Amino acid sequence: MARSNFDPSIPDLAGSLRAPGVSCFGGAPAALALVGVSKAYGAGPTRVPVLHDISLSIPAGDLVAIVGPSGSGKSTLLNLIGLLDQPDSGEIRLDGQRVAFQSPAEAARLRNRMIGFVFQSFQLLPRLTAWENVALPLLYRGAPRAERRARALAMLESVDLADRVDHRPAALSGGQCQRVALARALIGEPRLILADEPTGSLDTATGATVMDLLRDLNRRLGTTIVMVTHDPDLAARCDSLIEIRDGRIRTPREEAT
Amino acid sequence: MTTNAAPTALFVEALDNLKGQGRRSLLALLGVVIGSGAIVALLNLGHMAQLETLKRFRQTGVDMLQVVAQPTGAEPVGLDLGALKAAAASEPGVVRVTPLATARLPVRAGARQLDAMVAAVPPAMAEVAGLRAATGRLLGPIDDCGAAALVGARLAGDLSGPGSALAPGALITVGDYGFTVVGLLRPVPMEALSPVDYDQAVVIPLACARRVAGPDPTAALIRLRLDADPEAVGRRLTTRLSRPGLGVQVRDARAMIRAMNAQAAVHSRLLTAIGAISLLVGGIGVMNVMLMTVMERRREIGLRAAIGATPSDIRLMFLIEGVVLSLSGGALGAALGVAATAMIAKMSGWTFDLALWVLPLGPGMAAVVGLIFSLYPAITASRVHPIEALRAD
Repeated sequence: MARSNFDPSIPDLAGSLRAPGVSCFGGAPAALALVGVSKAYGAGPTRVPVLHDISLSIPAGDLVAIVGPSGSGKSTLLNLIGLLDQPDSGEIRLDGQRVAFQSPAEAARLRNRMIGFVFQSFQLLPRLTAWENVALPLLYRGAPRAERRARALAMLESVDLADRVDHRPAALSGGQCQRVALARALIGEPRLILADEPTGSLDTATGATVMDLLRDLNRRLGTTIVMVTHDPDLAARCDSLIEIRDGRIRTPREEAT
Repeated sequence: MTTNAAPTALFVEALDNLKGQGRRSLLALLGVVIGSGAIVALLNLGHMAQLETLKRFRQTGVDMLQVVAQPTGAEPVGLDLGALKAAAASEPGVVRVTPLATARLPVRAGARQLDAMVAAVPPAMAEVAGLRAATGRLLGPIDDCGAAALVGARLAGDLSGPGSALAPGALITVGDYGFTVVGLLRPVPMEALSPVDYDQAVVIPLACARRVAGPDPTAALIRLRLDADPEAVGRRLTTRLSRPGLGVQVRDARAMIRAMNAQAAVHSRLLTAIGAISLLVGGIGVMNVMLMTVMERRREIGLRAAIGATPSDIRLMFLIEGVVLSLSGGALGAALGVAATAMIAKMSGWTFDLALWVLPLGPGMAAVVGLIFSLYPAITASRVHPIEALRAD
């Protein structure tokens, strides 16, 4: 099965992509699409351009790796996709819907509903138990405690941590922590999971099991996952690869022809 | 405010967060504890002082004038009893006049001798001053000018030797005259308007005053009708009773209460100011703790923001933490304040009484201070950018 995440013709199609919800693929709208996204930091003579006219499209249900040397702009790209930052120009579409926000509060609401985050250093709150960490996104949806707990327990079970629900992060291994973080990313049923070096803090074997789990969740739940990684082995296990260099998308790799 | 989370849920979060840093914060809360404690203690002291004031008018009541005459020269002159009666008769507001004479004289019982207040009073004084006999009897009309004496509770103890307790029937010498003790008095609360502390006095019939004290009464208690104007009556009496060589002072109960209240108000205002300053200093402590918390928890703030906390959610969480923190300091202070008043009451011989309405005021003010001084840290927290906060390792 050839699953291309990159259509070289996109820049040419940019003009026809203005209408929201219309996909360049004709079928179901892409889970994530970037059209002509640029980003620079600073102002005036110290202005540093980071991303140049990035366009890409990721079909729903894909597991995609973003690779590139440090300083290439992939973190910036991830921040833009994660709605943690605004592009200077161009637009970002989730499920064919253009996402734009006017205020930090609006961005927070969009992130809460659309995106699950997985971080290299897990970013679990040490004072909270596993289930409370997992349930945190629901807190910011105004869900009542009983519902938060029930859903967190179900989520922990699906990452095989049903016996660790009341443990605090300090009492969990690195692999277990990342599985808790994964459960937290998934609990809000987001369209998209963004994983920034999800195995970067784990040894190879543990990293492999976390990757297995990511792969498994991606298949089972059909959640689109975008992952930044340095590990070529992990990248090889993704459906497709986006390579960033100097703020531009480099050669796409066609996979499994 | 656009919060995504339910405020009650944020409240629970804030409580959980505070659990982790209780001890350290309590130290910084010292100012709030002291401020709240001071306010509670001061208000309760004021309440107790008021009760004490009222107690001192319980027997005489507030419709009473006290006339005290003091010789301005060497001549031992006193009030002219006839003039006093005439003046009282001409005042429609006067219900009853009870004159008395006081002098300080050596009193001897057996081998013991000491200087004591001697009060020569008419029989009616028993009712006015609330005198009651512990043993024996009170003075009556039959004592007209008999050599009968009552001895106050404390003085009776002071005059008793080991194995020879003073009792009715005993002979005592007052000045140069012998008196038979006919009764011992029960302890009498000190009344504001009473010119005599009966607990430490020898009481003899007024008709005998001549023998031991001066020729005339030195003071009088005048009961007024409730609708009389005590100040006006007092002024007229002062004029009519003053004569050369004699200064007359008239005090009325209400004016005294007003003066006492005014004094208490000055005190409590002063002390409230101290409490307020402590709270202000405490507020700065709260701000310090909260700013440190915000700095230490930057990553947490970033994480919460990334997964959907709006700036308002973050702000509210830290505001609640600050308020709960100061509130707990305030509650601790209130407990300390009550303990302090209990101690002061014990030391000054007052009756301890707790005015329940003062209890919430200390913690309440502390909470307000907590809210105000947490605003800046909370706003700082809400402006933390998730990208930078999450990058900080």
